[in-house]
Amino acid sequence: MDSNGIEQIFVEKDQPGQPHRGKVFAAIHAHLDDIPYYAGGLCAKLIREGYTGYIIRTTNDEKCGGQTTAENILSNEQEHIKMAAALGFKDVFDLYYQNHEMDAISSLDIRGRLILIFRMLKVDTVISFNPWGHGEENPDHWVTGRAVEEACWMCGMANDFHEHLEAGIKPHRVLERHYFYGRPGQPFNRVVDISSNIEKKIDAIVECKSQGGGNFGSRLRARLAKQGKRLPLLGNDDRTADREYVRQFLLDDDREYGKPHGLAYAERFYYIDQRPPAKSKVDEYVEKNAVPL
Amino acid sequence: MQRRKFLGRSMVTGMGLGGAAAVGPPPLAQAGQPRSPDLPTKFTPAAYANPGSKHNPFATPDYYQYTDDLLIERNNPGKPHKGKVLAAIQPHSDDVPLYCGGTVAKLIDEGYTGYLIRISNDEAAGKTLGYGVVQNEIDNQECAKALGCKKAFTFYYRNHRMDDCAEVEIRARLIFLYRLLQVNTIITMDPYNHYEENPDHLVASRAAEAACWMAGGGKDYPEHYKAGLKPARIREKYYHARSPQGHNLVNRIVDISSYIDHKVRSNVANRGKGPAGAAGSRLRKELASQGKRLPLLGNDDETADFQYVKHFLMDGWRNLGERFGLQYAEAFRYIGPPPDYRENIRAYIDEHAVPL
Repeated sequence: MDSNGIEQIFVEKDQPGQPHRGKVFAAIHAHLDDIPYYAGGLCAKLIREGYTGYIIRTTNDEKCGGQTTAENILSNEQEHIKMAAALGFKDVFDLYYQNHEMDAISSLDIRGRLILIFRMLKVDTVISFNPWGHGEENPDHWVTGRAVEEACWMCGMANDFHEHLEAGIKPHRVLERHYFYGRPGQPFNRVVDISSNIEKKIDAIVECKSQGGGNFGSRLRARLAKQGKRLPLLGNDDRTADREYVRQFLLDDDREYGKPHGLAYAERFYYIDQRPPAKSKVDEYVEKNAVPL
Repeated sequence: MQRRKFLGRSMVTGMGLGGAAAVGPPPLAQAGQPRSPDLPTKFTPAAYANPGSKHNPFATPDYYQYTDDLLIERNNPGKPHKGKVLAAIQPHSDDVPLYCGGTVAKLIDEGYTGYLIRISNDEAAGKTLGYGVVQNEIDNQECAKALGCKKAFTFYYRNHRMDDCAEVEIRARLIFLYRLLQVNTIITMDPYNHYEENPDHLVASRAAEAACWMAGGGKDYPEHYKAGLKPARIREKYYHARSPQGHNLVNRIVDISSYIDHKVRSNVANRGKGPAGAAGSRLRKELASQGKRLPLLGNDDETADFQYVKHFLMDGWRNLGERFGLQYAEAFRYIGPPPDYRENIRAYIDEHAVPL
């Protein structure tokens, strides 16, 4: 039994070829920097292994960026697009709910919107917050996580938002879920080896300048230059400085998560697989026991 | 009490005018309404008591205020609305048939493609909640057919509890439908109906109204556009009153004389709730058990249901029509397309611009 209460941890390594070709995943986060930190490596890995990925941000991130509220919304919006491109997402959705205030809005409205998107994109797999994860202090995280979880099964039912069918958007169940290991003590049953995708993860984090420390390296480099100093680690340009700062200082968790499994970098998830077996129990029973009339 | 006294007098006046088809005396609105002797002469009445109905509590509301630009919308020859889409939005299965069924049938007959959208599940009417929901679901479909609608939709929110729903979510679903169906015109309950006692009416109409302009914008629910939907430009709205209470602003009277039978049939289709449905055949059966019959009700259930509704339940709209020289009428607060402001500015520029 692991300290997080899960009996067995599965270590997911790189898979050769494109085993997920034809499948779709949606990464749903509340803020610009959630996916890059919690699941940037997994997203890059799944896309490399054949998934088509879409990213959905639920808030407008107006509280983060150190500018006016309006300027924060703009900078986070633009960085979200760049971050998504760095990880290889096919398209970006922004729902723009008010940052830090998602617990005041209608959960039904968010769920309805996610159901439409999941059906429209025919999402097979989601990556998001664990709606039952303890220690979550940010209401945007748990509101988003709950809406995602609820939308996953409802989007497979024809009587929920049946008007979607009129638009040719058919029910489609989401059968696999990866919930972030968002806070210390939250459960996880899967460790994903992201070592070969770490450069993509760094690429994504450096686009998170309004929040997430993406430009800390260049800022440090500039500050040191004013003092007549430099850090060789940060290289000779801002891009290198940002990337190397992230690698050196901001990926400690990923390194720690990998250590027990002999991996350079890893991310943790609570993985739920609801895919039905190829043959149901009834099918097996019928196969064994059916007799001619 | 005073209001009821005034209303009672008006109803008596209405009754004296006789049946639907009668040409009758000059309409009251033209002839001038008898004034209450209790109203001091220094006051000018600001609202007009409706003659209402002797038989149907769900006809016209207590009072109307008429605007000075009131227009009577008469039959339009041909199909002037061809290519346009109408959404009739009702909280309950009997709202559109009762309050605006004639106008819906008229607009569809004049070329509109019509859709009926019911917001609640009507669970509060029926033998059990389950039976009620099923019967009203059927009724909604049948009512849509009777009015000539292409399709009926239902959102199934719980009846009488819509104030517990998230209005933003109802609005979002309406925006989706407006965009999907490319709605040009809506007809629904007046969101500003004073003395409205039914929360479903208020919530549904507010959502319907707000969805109208948001459906045309690019920033509300942009994921709809990724799903292939297009913005909907809703440029016309017909708001109807509800009864018995109500105090509404009216700027459009629609002549529904040619469509009264459509309205009757859509009410007959409402078997799960409301005053119509199978009331005629039930009465016929009851009388037969007493060894009696009403010639009005004919010799079969279908005729009985139709005649019962037409004779007893349509008198509110008959009385309203008579005020305007019409056989039957429905009243609306109509909001039409706004002027083309940009075009007007361009026209000014064309006329007044001079060389530098």
